[in-house]
This record gives sequence, structure tokens and C-alpha cells, in this order.
Amino acid sequence: MIERPGKTQPHFRSAVKFLRLYSRDRSAVFGLIFLAVLISAASLAFALFPVDPDMPNLASTLLPPSPVHPIGTDYIGRDQLMLIVYGARPSLIIAFAAGAILALLGTITGLVAGYFGGRVDGSIMRTADIFLTIPTLPLVLLVVAVLGPNLINVMLIIGLTGWPVMTRIVRADTISLMKRDFIEIEKVMGAGIRRILFGHLFPNQLNSILVYTSLSIPVVILTEAGLEFLGLAPISVSWGFMLNTSISYWILGAWWLSFFPGLAIFSTALAFYFVSDGLKAALNPKQRRRQESLVVQLAERK
Amino acid sequence: MGFATYIAKRLVTAVLLIFVVATLNFVIVHLAPGGPDAILLNNPRMSPEARAAILKSFGLDKPLYEQYILYVGGLVSGKWGTSYFYLTSSYAVIAQRIPATLALMIPSLLLTIVAGIFIGILASRKPFSFADKFLSSFSFFFYAMPAFWLGFVLLTFFSLFLGLLPASGMISVTSTRFELLDYLRHLILPMTTLTLVNLANFSLLMRSSLIEVLDQNYITTARGKGLSERLVFYRHALRNALLPTVTMVGLFVGFILTGAILTETVFSWPGLGLLTFDSIFRRDYPIILGLFFMFSVMIIFSNFVTDIIYGLLDPRITYD
Repeated sequence: MIERPGKTQPHFRSAVKFLRLYSRDRSAVFGLIFLAVLISAASLAFALFPVDPDMPNLASTLLPPSPVHPIGTDYIGRDQLMLIVYGARPSLIIAFAAGAILALLGTITGLVAGYFGGRVDGSIMRTADIFLTIPTLPLVLLVVAVLGPNLINVMLIIGLTGWPVMTRIVRADTISLMKRDFIEIEKVMGAGIRRILFGHLFPNQLNSILVYTSLSIPVVILTEAGLEFLGLAPISVSWGFMLNTSISYWILGAWWLSFFPGLAIFSTALAFYFVSDGLKAALNPKQRRRQESLVVQLAERK
Repeated sequence: MGFATYIAKRLVTAVLLIFVVATLNFVIVHLAPGGPDAILLNNPRMSPEARAAILKSFGLDKPLYEQYILYVGGLVSGKWGTSYFYLTSSYAVIAQRIPATLALMIPSLLLTIVAGIFIGILASRKPFSFADKFLSSFSFFFYAMPAFWLGFVLLTFFSLFLGLLPASGMISVTSTRFELLDYLRHLILPMTTLTLVNLANFSLLMRSSLIEVLDQNYITTARGKGLSERLVFYRHALRNALLPTVTMVGLFVGFILTGAILTETVFSWPGLGLLTFDSIFRRDYPIILGLFFMFSVMIIFSNFVTDIIYGLLDPRITYD
């Protein structure tokens, strides 16, 4: 094998640069640590709590936080900490899967619309506009209620309703890249569609696609939690559904039933926002506009 | 192109969108496992004759395109199917709940706009100062919060522990007629929830557009003319910075509506959101379908109104 010095070097150097830029943002580091702990706890749930999460224990119902049950027990006596750890699983699975679906759809439609322009562009963007107008939560509610609340349906429908903003971002970037000289030169040299799309346009936008995907994941988490809260939970041990059942018990003063699952949803969403902000600073250091907030950029791009 | 044509064009778009939503509704019902009336038809004790009679009475024996025409015609004339739970027209059930939802949404929207603009102004006076960072983080903090959870926290604290405010409903059960003070007391908690959750949308947008406008040449000119800072800010900067905010109102109606569905459930506010929650629990599909249609129509309508207001506010807009 022929050694190619200098090939690994820049990669290594850019990784170091990435880490240096990323670690400058303290909240982004904190968010990443939080998510790492959460993901490991969720994947090791069976080892941490070797019990059946659906198993009731009627001897210990509605106990307030204590040393034995640090965040209390629920209405059928299950330890809430155990439920939170198990409940992280559907949230994270749906968040990543729906995020991947919307990223994939948005990237493909955006690339196609920006590359071909004209009628193709027009019809894709009109469809995107329609999806932006239709209220997401009611549509997701309707589909999941009628077709049944299973993991696949929830992932698919949240992913399928989330793509238009991604399409707009990718399309705008594609159009501006298409005007650049290196694309023109590639075209003159006879490069095919595949080479231009996947050799140039896609790699050049990978960073912004990554940043927007991480930015849309908290929205997915909040939508999914809302769905579960309204009673459409694919898996009964989930954060949103814990809040759903707590509706009947808050009047008894059992505040821990709703407080801790909600805190879990909130901190996970916040952690993803922090990570997304850190990624943006580290991946597009030049594009970072005067510390502009995520929400504003999201809103302006709509 | 004149303003009238602009409005007409927007109107056509709005009607087309409503049509798309209706079609979506129809498709979803027919995708349902077992078909649109599986609940009624999947009865093993039902004779084939009875089955055929039911299919005929619901018009399900007709070809699909005819069913579709009937369905759209029914939507227009208010025949939205019969609720499985209330056993009356689902349109009537839904229409009855609209005033309560509006009674929560409109004050919340107004408070969000006013508070958002106010916070945006405060934050933009000294960009990147401590006050700015505090205000921006404050609104962002609530933005990442699930509306229903914030509702629970406020509910537990203010009604259960402190006993200051009523916990549920729009008016007290004991009151026989509508009293303003009673309604306002019930409104405080859900309105606060909705406002806090949606505040970031307005305040951060207002802040960024103010900072951008204050950077423009005509502001420097106005200052150079010797106008007072107050006049420059309120007469020249604020007016122009409000424009992007107005365009967003249409989108925010959607956010507030989504928030209202969740918030109403927490506070048992007797509007469309609580009806959504109850209907999901009861598997009352005609109501769920009707609600989706109603929510979509509300959002399409508010987008249409926003477009018109925008056209009136910005004289530079080209109607195309």
C-alpha cells in the first residue's frame, strides 16, 4: 500500500480544531455530557433496573421522593427513576429516527429543487409551502389516532411533516453553490448529475445539514412528548405518557408524578439545543452571525 | 397588479389549501386499518344484509370518486359526520367549543406580542450586554419547555400549594352566568403558560430586526439631523422593525394553537384542545377528523389575514 502522507494530517488537524471550537462553548459541552449520560443510561436500562417496567407494586403507590425512591413512585407503585430511564428509550429512538427521516427527505428534495430549478423547483417548493401551512401537531395527532400509535407510525409522520424547512435551507445553499466557478468548471468538463450532486453539492452542505438536523431534534422531542401526553403513546413507559397519567393525581398533591418526567423532556430538549449551537459554532465558524439566537435563525428561514 | 388582485390571489391560495386539507382528511380515513367504518362493520354477529344496509346508509357502497365528491360537499355544507360519543353532528360539537378556545388564544396571542415586543426593545437597546443576554436566555429557556409541563408546574404551585387561583375550567362551576372577573381569574394560569412558551418567537425576532434596522443608514441620517434618540427609536426604527414581526403573526397563530391544545388539557379549559384530548381517549374519529380540519382552516385564515395586513403596511410590496 502506498503511504499518502498529508492525507491524514489535515483530517486530524480539523478534528482538533473542531474540538477546540466546540469546547469553547460551555453549555454545548454540558449538553453533550448530559446526552451521553442519558443515552448510556437508556441503553443499559435492563442492567441498571433489572425489573419489568410494566410490573405494578401495589404496596408502594404514590410515595413522595425518599432515599429509597429518589423521585418517588407512581400511581401503581413503580419507581419513577426507573420509569424515567426506561422512558428515555422511545424518546431518543423517535428523536433520532424522525430526525434522520426529515434530514434525508429535506436534503434530497432541496438538492433536486435547487439543481433542476424551473418546474421541478416550483412544484417541490409549493408542496413544502403546503406542509408548512398545515398545523403539525393536529396532523400528527390525526394520523397517529387513525392509523394506530406504534413506533413506526409516530417516527414516520413526525419525520414526514418536518422536512420543508430543511428543504428550504438545502435549496437556497444549492442555488448559491451552483453559481460558483468550481461547479461551472465541473459542468464544462462534462461531470454528470451524480458527480455534481453527491461529489460537490452534498459534501459542501453537510455541515449545515448536520446543524439543522440537530436543531430540529428538540422540536421532534417536544412533538412526540405532546403526542404521548394526549394519550397516543406507542410505548406506555414513556415521558409524555407519565404526564398523561399524572393528570388524575395532581389534585392529591403528587407533584412528583408530573414534575420529573416533564423535567426530563425539558432538559433533553435543551441539551439538544445547546449541542446544536456548539456544532454550529464549531462547524461553520465563519458563518456564525453576531451570536444570533437559534430561534431567530429558524424563524427567519421559514 | 393592484391590491384587489393581490387579495383575490391570496384568497384562491387559501381556498386551494383548504381543499388540500380536506383531501388529506379523506385519504387518511381510507388508509385506516379496516376502512372508514371498521368499528361499526367488524361485528361478527352482523348479517350480510345488515352490513350492506349500513354501507349503503353511509354511502360506502359507492365508487371512491363519488364518495370523495360527497365528502367534500358534506364538508362545505357542515355535514362532518356523526360523533360516536355525542351522537350528534360533529360539526355542531366542534363549533360549540370554538369560543372557549378563542377566549384563551386571543388574550394569549396579544400578551405574547406585547411582551415580546417590549422584551425585544429592552434587549436591543444595549446588544450583547448582560441585560440582553439575560432576556434572550430567559425567553429561550421557556421555548424549550413542553407547554403542558409548565402548565402543571404553575398549576401545582399556584392553585394547589398556594390556593391563589382556580385550577381548572373557564368559569366557576357554581356561577350561573358569565362574569368577567371570574373568567379573568381562570385565564391567568393558562394564559401565562401559553405566553411564556411562545415568548421567544416574538422577543428574539423583534430584537434581531431592531438591531438590524438600527444599523441602517437612514437611522444615522436621522441622528445626524439632530433628532432626539427617543424620536429616532420610536418613529424611525421601531416602525420598520415591526414589519417582520407582523409577517410572523400568521405563523405564530399556529404555534399558539398547538400550545392551546396541550394547555387546555392541563387546565380543563373547555375548548377545542380539551375536546381533542377527550376524543382521542374515546376513539371518536369523526370528531378528530373534524378538529384537524377546523385547526387547519383557522391557520389558513390567519395566514390570509396576515398577508393582507402585510400588504397594507408595507407600501413597497409588489403584489405578485
